[in-house]
Order: sequence, then C-alpha cells, then structure tokens
Amino acid sequence: MKITVTGASGLLGSSVARALVAAGHEVTTLQRRPSAVEGAHDVVGSVTDPTTVAQALTGAEAVVHLAAKVSMMGDPSDFEAVNIGGTSTLIDAAQAAGVRRLVHISSPSVAHTGDSIIGDGAGPASPESARGEYARTKAAGELIALEADSDDFKVLVLRPHLMWGPGDAQLTERVIDRARSGRMPVLGSGAALVDTLFVENAVEAIVAAVDAVDSTHGEALVVTNGQPRPIGELMSRIAIAGGAEEPKLRIPVGPALAAGSVVEKVWDLGEHDDEPPLTRFLAEQLSTAHWFDQRRTQEVLGWTPRVSVEQGLEILAKHYSRD
Amino acid sequence: MKFPARPATTPPKLPEWDPAWSRIVDAQTEDGTHSFHVLDTLDVLTDAELEPSGTILALHGNPTWSYLWRHLAQATVDSARAGGRVWRLIAPDQLEMGFSERLAHDSLPTPANAEVRRISQRIGDFDAVATTLLAEVAGSAAAVEASSAAAPVRSSGTSAGSATAATTATTATGTDHPIVTIGHDWGGVLSLGWAARNADLVSAAISLNTAVHQPEDSPIPAPLRATLAGPMLPTATVVTDGFLRVTLSLGDLDPTAKSAFRAPYETAALRHGIGGFVADIPVDDKHASDPELQRIGADIAAFDHPALLVWGPKDPVFLERYLRDLRQRLPQADVHRFELGSHLVSEDYDVAGVVTDWLAAQFPTAATFPVTPKAAPDSQATTDPTPSNEHAAAASATSAAPARPVTGILDARRDDESIASVDFSQNPAQQITWRHLWHVTTSITNGLLDLGVRPGDRVSMLVPPGNNLTAALYACLKIGAVAVVADAGLGPKGMTRATTSADPKWIIGELPGLSLARAFNWPGRRISVSPLGPLQRRLFKVETSLTALSRTPHRAEFPTPAVTDDAAILFTSGSTGPAKGVRYTHGDISALAAVLTSVFDVKEGTGLVAGFPPFALLGPAIGATSVTPDMSVTKPKTLTASAIADSIIAGSATMVFASPAAYTNVAATASALDAEQKAACSRVELVLSAGAPVPLELMEAIAEVFPNASIHSPYGMTEGLLLTDIDRHGVAEAAATSNLGVCVGRPIDGVELALAPIDASGTPADSLLQGTAAQGRLGELVVSAAHIKSGYDNLWATTAQSARDNLGGRTWHRTNDIGHIDAEGRVWLEGRLQHVVTTPRGPVGPGGLEALIDSDEQVSRSAVVGIGPEGTQSLVAVLDAEGTDLSPGLAPLDISARLRGQVARVVGHDLTAVLVAPTFPTDIRHNSKIDRSRLAAWADHVLAGGSVRTKV
Repeated sequence: MKITVTGASGLLGSSVARALVAAGHEVTTLQRRPSAVEGAHDVVGSVTDPTTVAQALTGAEAVVHLAAKVSMMGDPSDFEAVNIGGTSTLIDAAQAAGVRRLVHISSPSVAHTGDSIIGDGAGPASPESARGEYARTKAAGELIALEADSDDFKVLVLRPHLMWGPGDAQLTERVIDRARSGRMPVLGSGAALVDTLFVENAVEAIVAAVDAVDSTHGEALVVTNGQPRPIGELMSRIAIAGGAEEPKLRIPVGPALAAGSVVEKVWDLGEHDDEPPLTRFLAEQLSTAHWFDQRRTQEVLGWTPRVSVEQGLEILAKHYSRD
Repeated sequence: MKFPARPATTPPKLPEWDPAWSRIVDAQTEDGTHSFHVLDTLDVLTDAELEPSGTILALHGNPTWSYLWRHLAQATVDSARAGGRVWRLIAPDQLEMGFSERLAHDSLPTPANAEVRRISQRIGDFDAVATTLLAEVAGSAAAVEASSAAAPVRSSGTSAGSATAATTATTATGTDHPIVTIGHDWGGVLSLGWAARNADLVSAAISLNTAVHQPEDSPIPAPLRATLAGPMLPTATVVTDGFLRVTLSLGDLDPTAKSAFRAPYETAALRHGIGGFVADIPVDDKHASDPELQRIGADIAAFDHPALLVWGPKDPVFLERYLRDLRQRLPQADVHRFELGSHLVSEDYDVAGVVTDWLAAQFPTAATFPVTPKAAPDSQATTDPTPSNEHAAAASATSAAPARPVTGILDARRDDESIASVDFSQNPAQQITWRHLWHVTTSITNGLLDLGVRPGDRVSMLVPPGNNLTAALYACLKIGAVAVVADAGLGPKGMTRATTSADPKWIIGELPGLSLARAFNWPGRRISVSPLGPLQRRLFKVETSLTALSRTPHRAEFPTPAVTDDAAILFTSGSTGPAKGVRYTHGDISALAAVLTSVFDVKEGTGLVAGFPPFALLGPAIGATSVTPDMSVTKPKTLTASAIADSIIAGSATMVFASPAAYTNVAATASALDAEQKAACSRVELVLSAGAPVPLELMEAIAEVFPNASIHSPYGMTEGLLLTDIDRHGVAEAAATSNLGVCVGRPIDGVELALAPIDASGTPADSLLQGTAAQGRLGELVVSAAHIKSGYDNLWATTAQSARDNLGGRTWHRTNDIGHIDAEGRVWLEGRLQHVVTTPRGPVGPGGLEALIDSDEQVSRSAVVGIGPEGTQSLVAVLDAEGTDLSPGLAPLDISARLRGQVARVVGHDLTAVLVAPTFPTDIRHNSKIDRSRLAAWADHVLAGGSVRTKV
C-alpha cells in the first residue's frame, strides 16, 4: 500500500515509517527535517503548507498523521497552527488526493479534565475542558479528523498514553537525567496508578491501525501497555534502568501543586526555550490515577502489546548500558 | 386554616419515573366520584405489545405516594419484556395523598374530626380504583367476574377464601390471570384487608413493613406517640413538614429521590392528608377506626393464599412485634428480612427483585419456570411439607442407615449404665451415664411442656457446650422445639440482630447470656441453667431453671417430630454481612449424624473429645460417648494438650474433634504431657480439625502429639458442615502440585459437587458443570447432600437464590465459595464470590494468588484485590505490615518485582501494584478470614493518589 507518514522526524514517526517500509509498503514521509528513514520517499516541509502536503500525498492510499507541536508551554498560536490548522490542511489534501484511510495520532489529554481516570475508556475529545494549549489544540484537531470520517475516508484516532523507551526524549531521558542529578522527585506516596506505553508497542499498534481502520473507523482509542503501574515505582524503575540511583526525593502533593503553579508563572515571565521543571498540570498528572480500559482498543486493532513493561525496562537498561 | 379542594394532577418530570405510567382515574367511592393519580404500567405494556397476564395492586402508606413503587414498575415491565409473566402494576395515590384529589377542609385534622378519611373509606377507595381498572383488561375482568359469581357479597368482612392456597399456576379464580396485592406502611394493612375480603379474586398478598394490630399490653412506638400527642399532630404533619422529613430519613435516600417523594407535599395546603392519615391511627379501642381495624385483623387471619412479608427491621415505628403478629395471622407467609433495612426498605434494598422472583415462583407460566423449583424457601410453618419431603427423600437415598429420630439412640439406652458424657467445663468434671442423661432430658422435656413450650417454638440456647447444653438441646429435640444458636463471636450487636430475627419464644441461658438478653431486650421467656436467687430472677425475668425442670416427674411419651420439622437454627459467622440463620430439620441432623458414622466411623460406643461446638452436640444422636474438654468455646486457643489428654482418658476416647486454633495451642503445650497423658494421646485413632484449613506444618505438629492417628481436615460451612475431606497425606500430596489456593480434598461420600463457572464479569453461570467439564476452571462451588441446610431463616430470596439449581433433580446449595477442581478431583478454594477480581485477562480467585504471594519469605500474609471497573480491574496485592519490617505504602522495588514475576510466571496475570497496609482487618470468629473488601477500598483510595495513612 502507498502510505504517507507525517511527523516522521520524531522517534515514533520515524519508527512507524521504518516498520511500514519493513512490512513492504511504499512509504512517503513528511516532516520539517529529513527523516533519515531508509527506503522511504522523504518530503521536507510543514503540514501547515498545502502545497507541500499535496506533494507528499500524491498517490497515497493511507495517511498516518503524527505531526504535532508537542510541548507543555509555548505560544497558543503556534499550537493552533500545527495541531488544528495542520490537521485541517492535511485532511483537505488527503480527501482531494483520493486517500481512503487516515490514522490520526492524538493524545489521552484531549479528554482529560484533571480528574482521576480509573479504568475508563476513551472519552470524547473536549477542547473546552482540556488542560493546556497542547491538549486543547489536539482535542480540536481530533474532532476535525473524526468529523471527516466517512465510508470513503475512514478515520481512526489513536491516543498513545505516556510513551517511553530507548530514544524517547520526552519522558524517558528527562526522568533519567533528573534522577542522575538527584532532582527526580516522587510525589506523595507515588502510588497513583498510571498507564504507559512502551515505544515498540506504540509502533506496532499504529501499524495495526492502518489495517484495522478499514473495518472499524470513526472512533478514538487510547493505546497503552494495559499494565498500569504506580507512578513512583515506574519512574524509579526507568531511572534505575538508565543507570541512576533509585530516586529518594519525596515531595508532598499539596506543595508540589503549589510549586507547579509558581514555576509556571515565573517561567512565563522569562524567555525560556525549554520546558519548566514542574508545572501544575504535571504535578497533577504525577499524583492522580490515570489508567484505561484497553479491551476495546485491543479488539479493534487486533493487537496486543508484545513487550511487557518489565521486558521494556530490560531493553531500556541494555540500551543505556551501551552508552 | 382552610384547605381548598383540588382535582388529581400528574407529577412533574422525576428521576426513575416514566411519565407514561401516570394516569388520572375517576372512581366512584362511598362519598361520590373522586379523581386519583394512578401509576399504571398498562400503556407501557400495550405499547410493547404485551398483554397483561397478571395484575399487581399496590398501595403506598403515609406520607409517601406511588413513587414508592417505581422500582417494582420498572422491574415488572423489564421482566415482561424479557419473556416472563406480564404483570400489570396498578398503584393509586391514596385520596388526599400524592397527586390524587385534595378534598376541601375547614380545619386541621384531629383524631375525632369527622372530616378525617377513615380506614374503611380508604379500603373502599382502593376497591373503587381497582374495580375500575381491572375491568380494562380481559384477563383481570374475567377474574373479577368469576369472583363476583362465586361470592356475590364483597367487602363483607367475613369472607373466607374457598380456593386452596397452593403454589400452582391455577389462581384463586381458576383463570390464569393472578391478582396480587402489595402494600407498605398503612397501605400494608389496607391492601391486606382488601385482599382478605376479596380472597376469591386475589391469589396472593404481599406486605412490606406495616402493622395490623396494636397489642393491648404494648405501648405505641415512641416516635408515633410524640406525633399523636394532641396539639402536636397538625403541627408535625400539616403545618410543618416534620413528619414528612422524618419519614424520608428512614432510608438512605439520595437527594433527588427525597425531592421526588416531597413533590406532592410542598405546601401545608397539600399536606392535610398526611395529618388526616395520622389522626386515623386507632391508638386505643375508643378510636373511631378501632372496630374496623379489629375486623381487618380477623379477616387477614382467614386469608389462606400465599403471602410474602418483606421487612426492614430497623424501622422505629413498625417494630418486630408487628411482624410477629402478622406471622401469626398469616402462618403460611414467606418472610424476607433485610436486616439493615429501615422503614423505607424498598428504597435501600432490591425489594422489587424479591417480589418479582417470589411471584415467578408462585405463578409460573408455561414459558417460565419457577425460580425455586425444589427448595422450600423459608417456612417456619409445616403446613406444606412437600418440598422438604423431597429433601428428606434425598437423605434416605444417600445414607445407608434408615432414618432414625435424632433422639432414638438416647431413648434406646435409657437403662444403660455406661458413660454417655463427660463435662470438663464443670469443676469438678461431671460424668453422666446414658441412663442419667435420658432421665434428665426426659424430665426437662416434661418440665418445658408444663411451662408451655410447644412443638415449633424457638428456643435460644445461650449455654456453652457441656452436659447442660446437651440436656437442654435433646429436650427441645424431643418436643420438636427449635434450638436457636448464635455464637458469641458475633458480638453483642450481631447476636442481638440474629436472635431478634429468629424471634425465639424462649431463652435458656447462663448468666452472661441472660445479661445480654436483658441489656438488649431480646424476645423470649427466660430460663436459667442453675437456680437463681430472687433478686437475679427478677432482674433477668427468669421463670425457672434447667435444674428445677430436671426434677419434673416423667409422664407419657410424646410424639416424635417429623423429619421435615425444624430442629435448629444455626447462625453463620457474618463475615460477609449480617449473620444468616441456617435452618436444619430433624432429617438434616439425622443425616449429619449418619455422615459422621459412614465417613469418619463415629458409631455407638465410640469415645470422642468434642472441642468443636457443632459436633459436640451429635454424640447422643450417634450413641458416642462425648467429652467436653476444659476450654473456652469462644477462645479455642485455651485448649491445652493436658486438657485434651485428660478428656481422652476420661472418655476412653479414640477420636478428637477441634479447630486448627485449638490444635495450634495443643501442639505448643505438648511438652507438658506426662507419661499417662502421652499414652492416652497415642491411643487416638482419628483427629479431626474443622473450621478452617490446616496448613501442612500444623498437620505435622498434630501428628507428633497423636502419633497413631489419621489426621483429617474436612471443609464445610454452617450451611453444610461436612462437604469435602483431606488428610495429612493428602495435604502433603497437594502441596507438591502446582495448583493454587487451599486444597480441601475431595467430596465425602454422599456429597455431590458441581461448579458454576465464573464469567468475565465475575458472575457465576446459571448452569452447573460436573466431572471433567468442571475441572481446571474458576467457579462457584455448588454442593448437594442430604445433610445440607433446608434453607435460611426469614430470608426467602436468599434461600431461593442459594437453592436455585435443580441439576439431576437434586437440591443444591450455592456456597458462595470460589475455587477450582483439579484433574484429580480435588477442590481448591480461592476465596469468596464477591472477592473475584475481574481483570481484562479473565476472572481471578484471590485465594490462589495469596497462597503464591504468602510463600515469599518477606511476606507474612496478603490479600489480593481488584481495583477499577468490572471486567478491566487491576490486580493488586496488599501485604500485612505486621510481623515484617515493611512500612505502609508502596512495597519496596525488589519485593514488587519478585511478586510480579511470580504471578506472571505461574498464572500469566499482570500484578499491577504491591501495597503494604498499615492494618489488616480480619473476622472476629477465626481471625483468619481476611476482610478483602475493606482492603480493596483502601487500596483503591491509595492507588488513586490518596493518602497511605487513610484508615483501612
């Protein structure tokens, strides 16, 4: 099948593109920097640019849309341009190009209002109540994608939750870096249950979705390893796998929430390129349960996570011991 | 104060209320046409193309309205849609109540006020609405016609139904359109009265909490007395919403339901009926409605169709004595008590489910089968012994010995001078011969009869095991009185609840028991064990003593009770809710004695040391010499090796029965045995440990004390005391397999075992598996045997549920225990049904995983619980901090990694988290049954981000 993958410069996007190439598909990649995916036809540019997008979609039958602005902080208009505008542009171009299938990659945060999630399914995306610019714009983007769903243009939305693994800069490396320098805190008892997703499983789930969308479409699925873990325990294990000591720094939840608010405000005043070390949202994420019912996801995708959390940690440890 | 008239209206939009149920009905009553708001499911049924084949007439009380029946309406519509009998529910709001018509009044209601609507008028109102609406449907109209043809005079007040009360599909009128009444509060009396006066039309009657008769010697319940006190009445009921508010607090109602109940009574102008209703309560024989209430009471007593009483005992107004009175009037009634329910019992418990199940059992259709095809759900009365007979037939079919009265051997040995019983609980130890035991028992029997004890009377036994209990118990068995046994492990509250529900007419007790009875106001006339002084006799209201009764001269023989007559009510431990009374008939007890003989070779002449209460009582039934060792029954750990050895010597015993806790202490104190005691222990051939599983280490320790004995640990429960058995060898063999759980061996002879597989939602299947099909899968264990319970006491629905299977035409018992059967046919327990963890990978029995986790060297004990929604739960292990160096919270990484690895490797399940709990709640009786539900609630809180220091 001819498949276009957007956002293929990131870890997940490039891995998906590679897996699709390996599976014998004809793959085109679209992203701002060269993808370096061997065997793929590379188009460099932004999803916000209709001309580039049309070029990347020529002859495509399916699209996997991963391109997004992912960040905790930043200018709202940047988020809107990529996560909403980019998605619209892509869908218009795809429909014009006769693409039949779209696998849209979203985020569980689109339906997360800050309350605990305990074994729930994927709720509807809600830009009004989503927390932060990323979640708000991803929610709007997801709604646009699902709105476009039809029997001629089949859309399936996947929401991978807290991805980690070798090469992941978002969560894994940060945890390990901070733990190595003794700055990785455990919030409260660290017992709040969270679902996560090992990167290889994420790749396989997305590849499975390219097939599954043909029979089931028009809905959103949260994708996780189906193995919730106490957040403190998992962070510790990731840190240890990365060669750090077990984090011992404990912060009560209340002060962490307060500190998160203060840090956000201070950070907003200055011109910072990177992420603040702690936000209120992050403190909440790290101290409330959020884990999901995976039965529907696994049924629709015909997929089960191949790598368990424990196997993932071993892979991670091997990866870091080579460093 | 003026009250304007207002015609009936329909309710606004309300939760759980289908507007299509509401209709306004004009009915011709005694004082003209009035408009009623009626809950009627006819339209909804008709829309679904369902033709009613039965009608339920429901009547609410004061100050509720037909909203009270919304769950019943929904349940009957649902069951009709599902293919069950199509019951139409008709539930009028009484006149001046709910959304029915308000009459004009010039003054506030008072008891003597002529404007107050009287009971007789209200029955007439109910009749008027019922007659109008029954005529709308062909089936019920035919029923009405047939009944008026049979008995042209209705509401005569003396009508005695001629139709036979039977649980057949043929109804009172001979048509297949049964008409059933149900009522609550004053609606209970009114509907029962109407049913009794229309017994030719009505096929069955149901009532929730109500009162028919105010006994002359009892005071009016305090809350009502306060309301009725003169000028308070209108103030409490009409001018303010006090009465309404208080009533609505007698249940755990959510705010939306409360508002719905209040909806028709928002202003004082709308509340005249509430006050009028209260004013019409006949508090004494001078009240205008008293004669009518007396007539209703007499009419109800003549009602002989099936009846069901559903009761919330925590009702401050409709007290136990009103239930007792109703049961005397309706001895055929099935009873279901929701022990923790109050006045508004149908708000907090699934009364609608009980009612629909009961109706399905009473009125089976061609398409549906009764819920309880075989069991005789709760029936204290013996008017209809048929179902129990089947049970007894099963007994004689499976036990080799012919059925023999429980007291048969005792009678046969009346001249035997050999030792029958030795009682070390007395100081000095008391030894009695068979002759002596027979004489004492017979004297007490005569004495109790003289005192007024009658067959079927319940007698609460507050006597510890020993000769006194044996004598009292066998005297009751001779009479056919029913022994009620609730053990002290329930605590004063639990014992009070249990005793109150069993409602004994008599209490035989030692001082501690009598003190409890006095302090908590238990029912029943009192008999002490030893004679008391005049002061204590007065204090405890004791009429006589066993000692005095044992001097009664013998007279003629008394008739032997039937095998189907109740013999005993034994209470469960109450570890999963209020303790349940378990009914044993004479046939059941005989069957149990026969099992001890056939399986464990306990026979005439055997000497046994009885350190485990249930079996301590069976010696005289078997003809075995029983020895009660010196120990506290409630503290089995007080049994020492020396005490047991002395008992063995005194009774020339070859068998010892005790609990694991007792044996643990026996093993620990074995070093104190002298040569003679050791020799006695080595003569023991059989050691039986019951009450909880015996770990292999304890088996080995017991073997050291009793070197020549075979050691057995049967599994059972109050509902079936001996079901499976495993010996020391079997425990060792089982330990060597890779099975999970606690192995309790194989079914003993005479016990049929089946399994109800548990599905992904944790629900056991309706159909049972046996043999190889039942092996290797998680399920609820279901058993059948001659010696299992005949039912639960006053728990019709619980009995029906537990005995719902009819595989092979047998009576079965759902144990609520879960586990699996291995390829060798051994049973492995894995917990209780309500503790099943439903993971996305399938259901998990916690007991199996706990056994695995407990084998870790850093774990003392554990509970495995499920967190999250049914079907996608996370599997969590909670460890006990006590006896370890673990601190509460997340378990250390090495432990969680190790346990997770074990669980994944052995059962292929994902262990989400390992927590350490600050405290570990267990039951009082055994200190072994872990309260998984409480630990689950704690884990749920902690794993959602809550504090670890939250109370477990």
